[in-house]
Amino acid sequence: MLSLLVSRGLQSALIVALVVTFSFLLIHSAPGDPFAGALDNPRVNPAIRANLRAQYGLDRPLPEQYVKYVAQLARGNLGWSFSRGRSVRAVLGDVLPRTLLLMATALVASFLIGVGVATVQVSRRGSALDGFLDRASLFLASMPDFWLAILILLAFSYWIPFFSIGGAVDPVVHDMLPPYARFFDSLWHLILPAVTLTLLYASGIARFQRGALLDVMPLDFIRTARSKGLRERQILLHHAMRNALLTLITLIGLSFPALLTGAVFIEKVFAWPGMGLAMVGAIGARDYPLVIGCVIVGSVLVVLGSLLADLLYRWADPRLRQL
Amino acid sequence: MKRTTVWSRPSTRVAVVTLAIFFLGALFAPVVAPYNPTAQPDIVALKDLPPSVAHPFGTDPYSRDVLSRVVYGARLSMGIGFLATLISVTLGVAYGAMSGLAGGFVDAVMMRVLDAFMAIPRLLLLIALLAAWHSLPITTLILFLGFTGWFSLSRIVRGQVLALKESEFVMAARAIGANRGRIVVTHLLPNLYSVIVVAATLGFAHVIVLEAGLSYLGIGVPQPLASWGNIIQDGAENVSGLWWLSLFPGLALLAAVIALNTLGERIRETFQSTR
Amino acid sequence: MTEPLLSIQDLRTYFHTSAGVARSVDGVSFDVGAGEMLGIVGESGCGKSVTALSILRLIQPPGRIEPGSHIIFEGKDLATVSEEDIRGVRGNRISMIFQEPMSALNPVFNVGDQVAEVARIHEGLSKKAAFARAVETLALTGIPAPAERAKEYPHQLSGGMRQRVLIAMALMMKPALIIADEPTTALDVTIQAQILDLLRDLQSRFNTSVLMITHDLGVIAETTSRVIVMYAGEVVEESPVEGLFAAAHHPYTEGLMHAMPQIGHERDRLNVIPGTVPAPTDWPHGCRFRDRCPYSWELCGRDHPPLYQIGVGHVSRCHLAIEPERRNHPHPPLVVQQGVAVA
Repeated sequence: MLSLLVSRGLQSALIVALVVTFSFLLIHSAPGDPFAGALDNPRVNPAIRANLRAQYGLDRPLPEQYVKYVAQLARGNLGWSFSRGRSVRAVLGDVLPRTLLLMATALVASFLIGVGVATVQVSRRGSALDGFLDRASLFLASMPDFWLAILILLAFSYWIPFFSIGGAVDPVVHDMLPPYARFFDSLWHLILPAVTLTLLYASGIARFQRGALLDVMPLDFIRTARSKGLRERQILLHHAMRNALLTLITLIGLSFPALLTGAVFIEKVFAWPGMGLAMVGAIGARDYPLVIGCVIVGSVLVVLGSLLADLLYRWADPRLRQL
Repeated sequence: MKRTTVWSRPSTRVAVVTLAIFFLGALFAPVVAPYNPTAQPDIVALKDLPPSVAHPFGTDPYSRDVLSRVVYGARLSMGIGFLATLISVTLGVAYGAMSGLAGGFVDAVMMRVLDAFMAIPRLLLLIALLAAWHSLPITTLILFLGFTGWFSLSRIVRGQVLALKESEFVMAARAIGANRGRIVVTHLLPNLYSVIVVAATLGFAHVIVLEAGLSYLGIGVPQPLASWGNIIQDGAENVSGLWWLSLFPGLALLAAVIALNTLGERIRETFQSTR
Repeated sequence: MTEPLLSIQDLRTYFHTSAGVARSVDGVSFDVGAGEMLGIVGESGCGKSVTALSILRLIQPPGRIEPGSHIIFEGKDLATVSEEDIRGVRGNRISMIFQEPMSALNPVFNVGDQVAEVARIHEGLSKKAAFARAVETLALTGIPAPAERAKEYPHQLSGGMRQRVLIAMALMMKPALIIADEPTTALDVTIQAQILDLLRDLQSRFNTSVLMITHDLGVIAETTSRVIVMYAGEVVEESPVEGLFAAAHHPYTEGLMHAMPQIGHERDRLNVIPGTVPAPTDWPHGCRFRDRCPYSWELCGRDHPPLYQIGVGHVSRCHLAIEPERRNHPHPPLVVQQGVAVA
């Protein structure tokens, strides 16, 4: 188990190193000066400009610049976001938790809904309900993320103005509210983005889980379970479910990029002030250090997610646990 | 035996007809579109008009006709998607086949590199690539979309090549003395055909959505060109007031994606059932 | 024989597929007495496993037990009782042992829990009490250190141990009947003998009836007292074991016996019955074995043979019963004459 941890950890570190190298190369191979925006920006004073030049050592030979860049990153220095006038690390410190909250909420909700829907479908295999859910999940899975977000925004906040839209909290009254009301204010703002991301992600989980359950049902040990006198329900929920969930863990590990991508668009549409919105804003402001910072952190998130899923899988499957 | 099943399903026919309409519309955009998609006839009087007889899909904040932009958008979006998919499929097949045929150490290294690429979310990779450009040439956009879309296909191709390499008929071909390149072309490619067709169809759908998303974020197709994504972007500042700017190009996008996904799934099912 | 424990009457299990109706079990009748060990033998595809699964109604769609079939057990017709009632029988009064002990066990639960589950369903025992019972039952099957083994997973056990786990699972409720479907086929020869010994031993200790399903006449000879030979979805011969080995009547049974390897009779190759079992969607008219039979004549193509009485408790579905002299004039079977599938 320890050697596995070490090898998977090293593998993940290697991937992060590749991402870092790649982003470094991008900064240097981009047409023109990627910091042109920064260097022309009147808000950037000479001191910062000097800082930028020193940090990226734009006049130095490339290998030397690379070593310095990596050294800076290792110390947690992701550079300077001139559009926001703060360090990239400070910006990410603010926005990352909101993205994580959105992703975690959607992940948990999608898991519960997706597995639930798949279970209902398999227990009523071939019924009209199964067919309907199958079409519905295929439809949702085909939906472009940003467009679904726009439709939901249109439907629920303008035509049926029920939920609050824009931001993570009410900008005017939030700070004056008592703590419990603040919590509900935040929740009220979270609902639409989280529901959108959940719809997109849960449809994929439902489709996958349905297939995984159907793959398990004809196996010999299901027949054994029947011969013992178990109810179909118990067989599905106990014997088949446990096996299918193992396959689902791998899928979830592989689908973190999709979850993150969905989060970026949804944050943009609902103005949820997370990392995605920060990144999109940075693109508009030509704030390249912040863009790259978000890309690196996003990749680390994905790598960590798949690492966690992998470890969870190895822990959950008794056939791999002893290795 | 039942090779006809792919056509006998009604959903396949609907998908093919939808795609045919889109392709024809894209091809004959100048004939189909009622107006010039970039013309701004009257920036004051004709801007932000809701759908009407003269402008069935309304007009945008620059007084351009949205229907015409959606039609031309089909041309650009489908064209970009098609070319990018072509690049992805070529790269994916080449890389996967090379890795699988080489085997051993080379294969192991090539697969680790692939792992790293696959770990970076495609959208983030594209954002990092595209954000560095001040004004993006369409060719570059196509290249970038193509270069970031071949990873999973190459893994599938490699697996198939490894399996086929050990199969009897390739052994036999080798015993006859056929050289490697010949084996690949005459034996492996026809067997990979189904995998490639399915991956290309689904990849096509994916890349169209991706292009629309990037254009919506403002780093895809540059203005004043029309793509489905940047028409939606034109209305993004005022989604409720200019709902026709989000709705119509979005519906076109959705129809194209569902048609391609359905077709891909049906082809996959057909190939699986004939195995 | 007095009142049988299980009486199967005209069992027909058909699979309604797009390629046609597969009549896998087509009018099978037999009895199993209390404490008896009965064998069913036949090639793969003859319907013996489907018969076994039908008894507990474990046939999945598109398979179906046709109306008119009766499976009388302890005064109830299992072919028609409610789902609730048949579940009460499964694993409780009748239990099954399957062929592949690896795939028949759920890989993600430990074996103790899987054995214990039976007592939890049928006796409502607590998890802990059921587990303790499972350990006791595992001990009965000769598993060393059963308390430790019970906490292990299927992949950690050897093939023989896994089969003992399945036997323990079948024994948990001290059932009246155990159906063993090819219980030793997947095992090494030495382990096979141990498992057969164990089954025989348990059968005599608990006076459980055993229905032994196998393609291996050696297993039949070693364990059972009475044997049913199945071919093409039908019973073709039924006899006490000694009678069958002394004087098999049906040419198919004869063929099976010749196909057995025999110590002391060295041959270059085993005799194999030429041809294969016909497709269950399309059983031939008349005698279903006719094409592969060295004695067949025109009657065999015309009339479907009934079960003829040959001796005490010995019946055979072969027209040779009325024209026994034809046995002295064998000819190459039709499949060989037509050059089809010469084995």
